[in-house]
Amino acid sequence: MSQDLARFILEEASRRGASYSDVRIVSIENEVLNVRNGSPEQVELQGLRGFGVRVIVNGSWGFAASVDLNRDEAVNVVKRAVDIARASSRLKKGDVVLAWEDARRAEYSTPYKKDPFEAPLEEKLEILMDAERSLAACSPLIKTSNSYYRGYRERKLFMSSEGSEISQTITWCGGGIMAVAVRGGEVQVRSYPSSFRGDYSTSGYEYFESLALVDHAEEVGGELVKLMDAERCPSEEMDLILTGDQLALQIHESCGHPTELDRVMGTEADMAGTSFLTPDKLGRFMYGSKNVNLVADATVPGGLGTFGYDDEGVKAKMVYLVREGLFVGYQTSRETAAALNLRESSGGMRADSPLSLPIIRMTNINLLPGDWKAEEIIEDTRDGILMMTNRSWSIDDKRINFQFGTEVGWRIRDGSREGLVKNPTYMGVTPRFWGSCDAVSGDDWRMWGTPSCGKGVPGQVMYVGHGCGTARFRRTRVGLI
Amino acid sequence: MVLDRLLDVAERAVKTALRMGAHQSQASSFILDAALTRYANSQIHQNVAYRSGGVSVRVVLSDRRMGDIEAFTLEEEGVEKAVEDALRIARASRPNLDFKGPPEPEPWSPLEGAFDDETSLCTPQDRVQMVREAIETAHARSPLVRAVAGNLSTNSAYFAVVNSLGVSARASLTTAGMKTTVISELEGTEGFSTAESYSRRVGDIDPIQLAGEAAERSVKGVKPARVQPGDYEVVLSPLAVRVLFSYISGMGFSASSYQDGSSFVRYFSGQRVFDIKLNVKDDALDPRTLYMLPVDGEGVPKRRMNLIAAGEALLEGICYDSLRAGREDKKSTGHSPPPIGRRLLDRPVPYNVIVEPGDSNMDEMIEETKNGLFITDLWYIRPVEPTRIVLTGLTRDGTFLIENGELSKPVVNLRFTDSMLSALSEIPLLGKEVKTFETNAVPAMKLKKMRFVGVSAY
Repeated sequence: MSQDLARFILEEASRRGASYSDVRIVSIENEVLNVRNGSPEQVELQGLRGFGVRVIVNGSWGFAASVDLNRDEAVNVVKRAVDIARASSRLKKGDVVLAWEDARRAEYSTPYKKDPFEAPLEEKLEILMDAERSLAACSPLIKTSNSYYRGYRERKLFMSSEGSEISQTITWCGGGIMAVAVRGGEVQVRSYPSSFRGDYSTSGYEYFESLALVDHAEEVGGELVKLMDAERCPSEEMDLILTGDQLALQIHESCGHPTELDRVMGTEADMAGTSFLTPDKLGRFMYGSKNVNLVADATVPGGLGTFGYDDEGVKAKMVYLVREGLFVGYQTSRETAAALNLRESSGGMRADSPLSLPIIRMTNINLLPGDWKAEEIIEDTRDGILMMTNRSWSIDDKRINFQFGTEVGWRIRDGSREGLVKNPTYMGVTPRFWGSCDAVSGDDWRMWGTPSCGKGVPGQVMYVGHGCGTARFRRTRVGLI
Repeated sequence: MVLDRLLDVAERAVKTALRMGAHQSQASSFILDAALTRYANSQIHQNVAYRSGGVSVRVVLSDRRMGDIEAFTLEEEGVEKAVEDALRIARASRPNLDFKGPPEPEPWSPLEGAFDDETSLCTPQDRVQMVREAIETAHARSPLVRAVAGNLSTNSAYFAVVNSLGVSARASLTTAGMKTTVISELEGTEGFSTAESYSRRVGDIDPIQLAGEAAERSVKGVKPARVQPGDYEVVLSPLAVRVLFSYISGMGFSASSYQDGSSFVRYFSGQRVFDIKLNVKDDALDPRTLYMLPVDGEGVPKRRMNLIAAGEALLEGICYDSLRAGREDKKSTGHSPPPIGRRLLDRPVPYNVIVEPGDSNMDEMIEETKNGLFITDLWYIRPVEPTRIVLTGLTRDGTFLIENGELSKPVVNLRFTDSMLSALSEIPLLGKEVKTFETNAVPAMKLKKMRFVGVSAY
């Protein structure tokens, strides 16, 4: 049925004058569970089916979409997309050109052992209730305790007028716990395995089980209580060590976004901003120290940005963005790759729903492992601070000046953890900061998955991954000024 | 016609749920027709339209086990399956003791002026014409203008809500919004500026005025100088005020943050924490608000709520939906997001915030400033310490030094990190014109002191 409808749509687009067209027929299931203070606050299943059609007419793009999957609506949607493209072509500087891509017939599924949608809801809720109960029991200072689960499945059929026909299924799941302690006017937060509802992976239900939320609840609650009595983060320049759950967001904001070629070319100027990594810097600009190797890799097992093909039918691949500190590559679409005379797209076009237009999104932006062990970095640090688990983040519209806050920090003196510090923050300037990176670990390298990267107008929320371990940054400004 | 269909879908969903064994049920159905034309580098690069629609169903069993379903279908078969799934989820769930039941019916009246036919019928050709006017206007202002970017959207939204206690409500609304960002260039430096306009009527949006305003400031913004971080007097354009109050109202007056202890209102209510001139309300019935609605997503009638009065943060300004209200044995204040907005808003927040005006204007604010900053917009604001409303963020799209009552030169963007309890404690001047944005309507504002802690690299 889907293939027939897709073929009908492509033929209709061609009949109405499209020189290129593609269609995505997508079905999404999203199970969201949230237990809060002893009660299931959210037990929800969200389902979305629909289709989106892109066309090029008179050298300009048009896009339209609908949730009604039938031939009558397909005709309406194609007509709307073609009308839009014709209207757009009245205000163009040149025709859209796409980088070459082979037409492919393929099927792909992210692998899993246990189907998240087959796992009993009762069992998931039992784990969440137990974890939340253990967390709440840690201290009367804990006023809010939450546990989260999310299972997601996206089935997509992509077909293009160039002959591609790709079916793929992406499945991911995960979860987390979070507690808030309040005393007087002071509020502290602690989460596991990372903040903002936890950590996610393109795996099955076995990934949620592996998080062992119940086992970690007591440790998280205990640390939260200790945090209330911790010293405030000092305000000075010192060595900064970031663990993977914070470093993942640092990579996301200061490398992931500025290497998106649509930003660089100005098409996000009205919303997300532009980028300091302009084309004149490609292959010439030292983004960081020699220890810094960053890649966009949609092929890593378990990454939340892992898939078989992007939403233009480009096969998943790994491309270098920064090699030994040198800025060497962008995340692209077929159109932006052609505009920069690149041989092919990096394969990063993704849409968050059938109703959304694909735009350049991060896949898995990873800091490749270094030779250090995480504990060795701490032992090698005389005077510094180790920060863990993001609490706040802010970076300018060219992705240079940033300030991050974390849930917890440890003062490091003479190679060991001296004590907790609360409200830790640090700030910096992107190339200077990455230029100060002198140690990258390999032993604790893992993938982190965030399902909530926002970009575009209208806003789209995409799931992306980051692989990293622990890293050290010399002489960094920490603490609020 | 559309609303009759949506009401019928919601009624059928509730009846089906009760027939299948639900103790209580609520259903909301919606249709959204959305269109957006996006431009950059002075040409259109994205132009889209979509129709979305569906139903959200909540079922509650007699022991307060609940199940929620969001399904993007309005067809009979799909709605029936959604109800079945909601019941399956509820039966597998655990009792939610916070939930005291859906809201009881209360009288409400439809609102005049919320729906505009011209906006609803706006075509791709109409949008292209408006974009063309913006681009041509900006380039005509100066040869320094290098590129024009922005977006123009028109939306028609319809929803209906029904529950098993007798609530039956419906609403429709159009919105239009245009943003124009202009980039100028001189001797390898860039100047940015931006202007935005929102209305329920697309005819109210003036692309020429927007582009002219953004272009002029963008050209003035080339060759920015670096100034030292520190405390400055600031004149905030309505765009910048809009961003600050989105955070202050969302963080401070949501029942979610109040209940988890992160709202400043919990600690400072009953005290005058802001300048006495500051009065803020949430009022979906006020024509100055964009999302003018008679009822919320649970069918509770919208009403005016005061959030800040004469600088005092009010405990009665905390916004509840029925779930969060039940947690404190209170009634909903009508702040459950409508079904169309649920993907963006998952908690009760004030989204019709109005900062009451003063009697000044931006020119007067600049004239009254000896040594300060003019800020067009703020960007990437995040809470650092929510209970003291310590926020961090950056200036964007046009920051200027004010010396002796005049904009003396453009400056490189700065980072602020400051408590709003401090920054808003002295507001020497408030603008007399209230400008409408998506979730709030605000005037320009002069602050006596705002703390800047860093400078960007461009």
